[in-house]
Amino acid sequence: MFELKRTPFHERTSKLSLPQNWRRWAGYIVAGSYDLVLDREYWAIRDAAALIDITPLMKYIIEGPDAAKLLHRMTPRDVLKMAVGQVFYTGWCDDDGKMLDDGTISRLSDTKFRLTSAEPSLRWLAMNAVGMDVTISEVTDQVAALSLQGPKSRMILNQVCAKPLDKLKFFRMTEAKIAGVSVTISRTGYTGDLGYEIWMPADKALTVWDALFEAGRDYGIVPCGILAMDMARVEAGLFMIDVDYTATNHAWIAGQKSTPFEMGLGWTVALDKPGYFVGRRALEREHKEGSAWRLVGLEVEWEGLEKLYASVGLPPQIPGMAIRASLPVMHNGKQIGYASTSTWSPVLKKYIALAHLQRPHHEPGTRVAMEVTVEHHRLHAPATVVKTPFYEPEWKRK
Amino acid sequence: MAAYDAIIIGAGHNGLVAANYLAKAGRKVLVFERRGIAGGQLVTESFGDGFSADSLHASAHLRPDIVRDLGLNLPAASARSPYVCLLSDGKRLTIDADLARARATIREFSAHDAERWPEFVAFMERAAAFLDAAYRTPMPRLPHFAPVREGLPLAGLLWKLRRLGGRDMFRIVRAMSMSAEEFTDNWFESDALRAAISALAIHGVTLGPMSAGTGFTLMHNWLNRGGLAHRPVANGVGTIAVALVDALKARGGDVRTSVEVQSIIVDRERATGVRLASGEEIPAPLILSAADPRHTLLKLVGAAELPPEFVWQAQSIKLRGCVAKVHVQTNGQHGLPEGTLAVAPSIRYLERAYDAAKYGEISKEPYLEVTTNGNVVSIHFQFAPHALRNPDWNAANGIVEQRAVDTLDAHCPGFKASVKRMQVITPRDLESTYGLSEGDLNHGQLILDQIFFMRPLPGWSKHATPVDGLFLCGSGVHGGGGISGASGRNAAKAVLKL
Amino acid sequence: MAANQYDAIVIGAGHNGLVAASYLARAGKKVVILERREVVGGAAMTEEIFPGYRFTEFSYVVSLLRPEIIRDLELPKHGLKILPLPSTVTPLDNGDYLGSWDDHDLTRQEVYRHSPKDAEAYDEYSRVMARAAKAIKPIIGMVPPDPSSLSPRDLLGLLKLGQYARSLSEKELYRIAKLVTQSSADLLDEWFEFDALKGTKSASGIIGTFLGPRSPGTAYVLLHHYMGEIDGAFRAWGFAKNGTGGVSAAIANSARALGVEIRTNAPVDKVIVKGGVAAGVALQNGDELRAKVVLSAADPKRTFLQFVDSKHLPDDFVQSIKSFRVRGSSGKLNIALNALPDFTCLPGEGPLHRGAISISPSVDYIERAYDEAKYGQFSKNPYIDMIIPSMIDRDMAPPGHHVMSCFVQYAPYDIEGGWDDAKRDAFGETVISTIEKYAPNIRQCIVGKQVITPKDIERIAGITGGNIFHGELLLHQLFFFRPAPQWADFRTPLPGYYFGAAGAHPGGGVMGAPGKLAADAILKDVD
Repeated sequence: MFELKRTPFHERTSKLSLPQNWRRWAGYIVAGSYDLVLDREYWAIRDAAALIDITPLMKYIIEGPDAAKLLHRMTPRDVLKMAVGQVFYTGWCDDDGKMLDDGTISRLSDTKFRLTSAEPSLRWLAMNAVGMDVTISEVTDQVAALSLQGPKSRMILNQVCAKPLDKLKFFRMTEAKIAGVSVTISRTGYTGDLGYEIWMPADKALTVWDALFEAGRDYGIVPCGILAMDMARVEAGLFMIDVDYTATNHAWIAGQKSTPFEMGLGWTVALDKPGYFVGRRALEREHKEGSAWRLVGLEVEWEGLEKLYASVGLPPQIPGMAIRASLPVMHNGKQIGYASTSTWSPVLKKYIALAHLQRPHHEPGTRVAMEVTVEHHRLHAPATVVKTPFYEPEWKRK
Repeated sequence: MAAYDAIIIGAGHNGLVAANYLAKAGRKVLVFERRGIAGGQLVTESFGDGFSADSLHASAHLRPDIVRDLGLNLPAASARSPYVCLLSDGKRLTIDADLARARATIREFSAHDAERWPEFVAFMERAAAFLDAAYRTPMPRLPHFAPVREGLPLAGLLWKLRRLGGRDMFRIVRAMSMSAEEFTDNWFESDALRAAISALAIHGVTLGPMSAGTGFTLMHNWLNRGGLAHRPVANGVGTIAVALVDALKARGGDVRTSVEVQSIIVDRERATGVRLASGEEIPAPLILSAADPRHTLLKLVGAAELPPEFVWQAQSIKLRGCVAKVHVQTNGQHGLPEGTLAVAPSIRYLERAYDAAKYGEISKEPYLEVTTNGNVVSIHFQFAPHALRNPDWNAANGIVEQRAVDTLDAHCPGFKASVKRMQVITPRDLESTYGLSEGDLNHGQLILDQIFFMRPLPGWSKHATPVDGLFLCGSGVHGGGGISGASGRNAAKAVLKL
Repeated sequence: MAANQYDAIVIGAGHNGLVAASYLARAGKKVVILERREVVGGAAMTEEIFPGYRFTEFSYVVSLLRPEIIRDLELPKHGLKILPLPSTVTPLDNGDYLGSWDDHDLTRQEVYRHSPKDAEAYDEYSRVMARAAKAIKPIIGMVPPDPSSLSPRDLLGLLKLGQYARSLSEKELYRIAKLVTQSSADLLDEWFEFDALKGTKSASGIIGTFLGPRSPGTAYVLLHHYMGEIDGAFRAWGFAKNGTGGVSAAIANSARALGVEIRTNAPVDKVIVKGGVAAGVALQNGDELRAKVVLSAADPKRTFLQFVDSKHLPDDFVQSIKSFRVRGSSGKLNIALNALPDFTCLPGEGPLHRGAISISPSVDYIERAYDEAKYGQFSKNPYIDMIIPSMIDRDMAPPGHHVMSCFVQYAPYDIEGGWDDAKRDAFGETVISTIEKYAPNIRQCIVGKQVITPKDIERIAGITGGNIFHGELLLHQLFFFRPAPQWADFRTPLPGYYFGAAGAHPGGGVMGAPGKLAADAILKDVD
C-alpha cells in the first residue's frame, strides 16, 4: 500500500544485485546495476548477453475492428500497412505536432496490437478512440518483460525455444514457448545490438528467467541493470523521454517541447498516409519549413579534451556511466544547443553525447564545443557533429 | 464540379437565416432538413383536430436587422400582454409592459420596488442592447488577434461598454456573473417580484436563481424576448419559418425536407460534402451546420477526423435539456387570464425546482410558464432533466403531465376540469424528434464558460471548426441560445468574408 | 513627535494588518497597530482553550503565504516553521478510502486502484492546473486597475495586464477563462469518473464560499491548491508550527523588530476625518491617535460602514459595500482528544493521521450539504476537513493526547431563526456523529470541544458575517471588483484611508498579499 511496485523478477534480482541501488521506474523499483562496477554488465550487452528486467514499460492491448485505425490515427506511422508480426517503433504527438511519448507497436493479429510506452497512455488512447469499436486494456502489471541483448542472445534463445529464431527479422515478433511458458518474442531492444524482448505472463515470469539463465550460463549471460543499458542506448543513438526530450504534456513552456522531426524521427512520419492523424497539419508545415532544432550525435575530440585537463595537470576524467545533465554546446562562443545525455563509450573508446542543436549547426561534420567541467572550471571541449547511431554492429539487423 | 456552393444542415431558423444571407450574396445553397417540416424549434404543429400550438416557443422574434437585411415579410408581433405571476396564497403579481401600470401593481407588494421599477427596466434595456451589440461582434481568438480586422469591432464593443459610464459598465459586467437572486436583491425587496424576474433568468436553462451566471441569462432572455412577457406571433411562430423558406426560395435557394444528413464527408481535415441517410453523396466546398456543435462534430464529422484534445472538449460541451412542454386542449373553460403566466411564487420555490434537476429528478413543484391561445393552453415545464436518474420516459411523461396540470390547477382552480387532451414534449422528444442533443433548446447551456468567446468552445467562437470548409451556424455558437437568428447571421457573414 | 502621532495607523492585527505594518515600518515609517482583542493574529490564531490543548482556532493550514513576504520580513528568523501536511485521505462509505500522498507514484497507484482512467487523468489534471496557476499568479500579485478610468495609473495597469495576457498562450488564456467561470463539478466531470475523487477535489473549490460545487465560478478556487507548487522551495503548504497563530506570532515578531508598536485591547471607534481626509483614529476608550495614513485590515463592512461615517463616502460606494456579500458558510470544531481516533478504513495509527482527512465522498454529497444551507439550515451531512495538529506538531497537545481541527461546511450565518446555544450544540453533534461513521471511537476520545459557528467567527475574530475570506469569493467580487468596483487598488474614496485585508484583492487565506499590496500603495502615495 505504501510501497512502490516490484516486478515479478524481484525475487531473483534483489538477491543478485550487489550494490542494491534501486532505481525508480514508472512506479516500480528496478536494479540500477548488479555489479559494483558497470563494466561487466555493459560488456555483456556488447559481447555476450545481458538480461534486463524491463517490466515497468507501460503495456497496452488494443483490440477490435478499429484497432489499426486507432493507432494509425494516433501515431504518424502508416499502421494500416503493418503486417501481422511486425513491430513499429514510433513517437506520437499532440495536435501541435509535439512529442508526447514514444514506444513500440506490435501487430499481434489483424485486430490486436500491443503498444508499449514510457508514460501512462490509457487516457490518450481513450481520447483517440472516441467513436471507435475497440477495447483498450492496460496490461503493464500482468505482462512481465525481459530484454535479452547482445551478440549471444539468439543462441541462448535458440537453446530454450522450441523452434529457432534464426528467421526472426529485425523488428518482427513471434509466438514461442520457453520452459513451457507461452511468450512472445520481438527482435527489438534499447541497446543497438542484436537483441530480443520477451513478453510473458507475470505469474510465469520466474520460470522464464530461470530457463534463460540456465541456458545462458555457457554464453556468458549476465543480469544487467538500467545503468549499463543507459550507456548502450546512447551509443545506439536512442533517446529517452524526459531526459533527451520533454513530453509535451510535461512541458512548462513551449520551448521545452520537441517534434519527431527534431528528434530525428522524420522517417516515422508518413505525411502522405491516408486519413487524419494527430499532429498532421503541424508536421506537414514543419516538414515544409524545416525544423529549428535537431537531435544529433556529438563526438568530443580527445586531443582537445586532453589539452583542457593537461592545463591543470590532470589526465582526462570521464565518468564511467551515462550522465543525464544538460551541457551547453557552443559555436564561435555562442550557445547553439545543449547535450542532454553524455557518456563514455567503452566500445568506441570515445566520449559521446546526444545533443539538441539549432539549425544550421546540426549538419554532420560541424565543429562545435561542449562544456566540460575541469577542476571546478567550466571549459569547452571541441566536438564534432556525427550521425547516429554511434555504434551499430553488423549483426544488429542480420 | 459541385452543384452547390454551400450546403446547410438543418432548416431551423438559424440555418434558414444563414442560407438566406448566403443566397442573397449570390451563393447557390441547399438546405437539408431531417423532419418533414422546416423551422426546427420554430414550428407550429397540429396534435389533432383543432389542437395546434407553437410546439416549443410561445413567441419568437428575429433580430430587427435580420428582418431588414433579408426583407422578410413577417406578421407584426401582437401587443405585449402582461406578465402574471401566480403566487402561493392565491394572489397575483401582474407586471404590465406599461411602466405606470406595472408600478401600480408592484406597489401592492412594495412601494420601494415600485419606485425602482422604471429604472430597472431601463437598466435591463441597456444591458440587452449591450448584449445585442456583443452578439453582433465577432469574438476574436485570444490573444493573438489581428489588430485591424478583428480588433476593431471588439474595440468598438468595449468602447460602447465604456460609454455607458463606469457605473453602468460595472453594473452590467458584474450582473452577468451574479445569481439572479443576488442581482434582484440589489434592486428589490419583494420576494414575489424578485422571483418573477428570476423566473425569466432560469427560463430554458438548467440553473437555479441562486446559480452564478443567471444574471447573464436574465439579460439574454430579456433581449430575445424583448421584456418579461411574450409577444405571441399571430398564426404561430411557424409563420416565421415559412417566411424564411419563401425568401430563400425566391433567392434561388433550395430546402429539402425529410432528408437526413448522415455524415459530413471529410478528407484530411477538409469537408468535401455530405452523405445522406440514403447513401447519396452531395459534394460542396462549404458546409454550414445548424445542428448543435456536439452532434455536428462528434456524429456528423466523427471523432476519428478530429484532434483528440478537441474531441475531448467537444464531449465536454454542457448540454442539459430540462424543459418539457405540455400542450393542453381544453374545453375552453380553463379560466386562465390573458398574458404570460408564471408559477414562480418565490426564489426558494424556483431554486427547489432546480435542485431536483441536479440529481436527475423531475421537480415536484415545477416552475411553469403558461400561455393560452383560445382553447389551447401551453405549459413550459421546468425542470424535467434529460439526464433522469431513473430513465423511464413513459413514466416521466405521465409525471410531467400530472405535475403540470396539478400545479397549475392549484393556482387556477378549475383548470384541471377543463382538460380534454394533452400533448407532452419531454427532453427525450426534443432529442429524438427535434434533433437536439440531450434535449437542450440552446444547443449548449448558457453558462458563463460557454458564452461569448467560449461558445461553443474556447477559440472556436468564430463559426469555424478544425475541419476546413465546415462552419457552425446554430444556436450553439456565439450569438446563439434562444430564438434570434444572430448565430445564423454571424456565421453567414463570417463565411462571406472568407 | 507627539506620543500619539504616527506616520501610519493600522487597524487590526490579523496577519494582513501585521504584514502591512511591517512593510510600512520597514520603509522607515512610525507605525502603530490597533487590535481590538488582547491577542494578535485575527483569524490566524492559536489559543489554549483547554489547559494543555492548543487549538489553531479558525484557519488551520498555511497555503499561500507569499514567498516575498517570508523573505522580506525574515519570517524564518522570527520563528516561522511550516511543517509538512503530506496527505489527504477520504474515507469512503464502503469502508475503503481514497488517499493522496506526497509521492507521485504512490498517489498514482492509489488512484489507479479506484480507476485506472482517473490515475492518468489525475497526473494530467495536476499538470494542467499547475500551469494555469503559474499563468494566473502574476495577476494575483498585481494591483487591479480600474478599467473605466482614464487615469495614467489605471491605463498603465490595464496595459500591463493586457501585455501579460498577450504573453500567455491561447491555451493558457482559455483555460483561465474557463476556470474562472466554470463550476468545479463541471470541471471535474470533464476529467474524472471516481466520485470520491471528484468530491474531494471539489471540496477545495467551495471552502469559504456560499456556493455548491455545481455553482459556476467555483472552479477557480481549485487553482489555489496549485499555486504553492510554483513557489518551489518557498512552497508554503502545510501546518505552521504552533498553528496559524505561529504565523501571526512570527509576523508580529518581525513587526516589533522593525519598530512597529502593537496595541492590544484597543478597539477602534471611528476614523477621524478632517477636511475630507483621514487624520487619525479615535479609540473606544476615547484616546485619539493621529496619522496622515490610516489602513484598515478589518473586513470591508466594518472598514467602510462602521469606522467611517457614510457622509464621507460616495453613495454608490456605500451601496456597493452594503451589497458586498459576506455570508459566512463554514464552522469549526476544535476537539481535544485523549487518544487518536481510529478510522475503519485505515485502522491503527498511520499516515492518515498525519495529513488531512476529508469527508467528501461525492460531489452530490457536498452539493446536498449546500442545498440545506441555501434554505437556512446547517448541513445534516456536512463536508468536513480534519487535521490532527498534534500529530504534526507534538507541542500542540500533552504527550499521548491530541487536538483535532475540523473545518465544517455548510453552516450558514443566517441560519433560520438565528444561532443559539441549542443550535450550536446540535451543529457540533452533527459533526461528531458524521465523523463517528468513519471513526467509531471518536466519542470516547473526546475530552473537550469547541464549536464555532459563523456567528462565533464574527464575535471572536470580528469578521462581519463570519465569512473566513472577509467576503465571498464570487466572480463579481474578485480582482477589480474587490471590494468595490473602481476601488480595488487598496485606496478608498476617503483620501488617506486605505484598505488591505482579505476583503481586498486577491482575497483570503493566510496569504498576506492584500496587506503587502496595500502597504505598497501607501508608500507610493506618501513618498
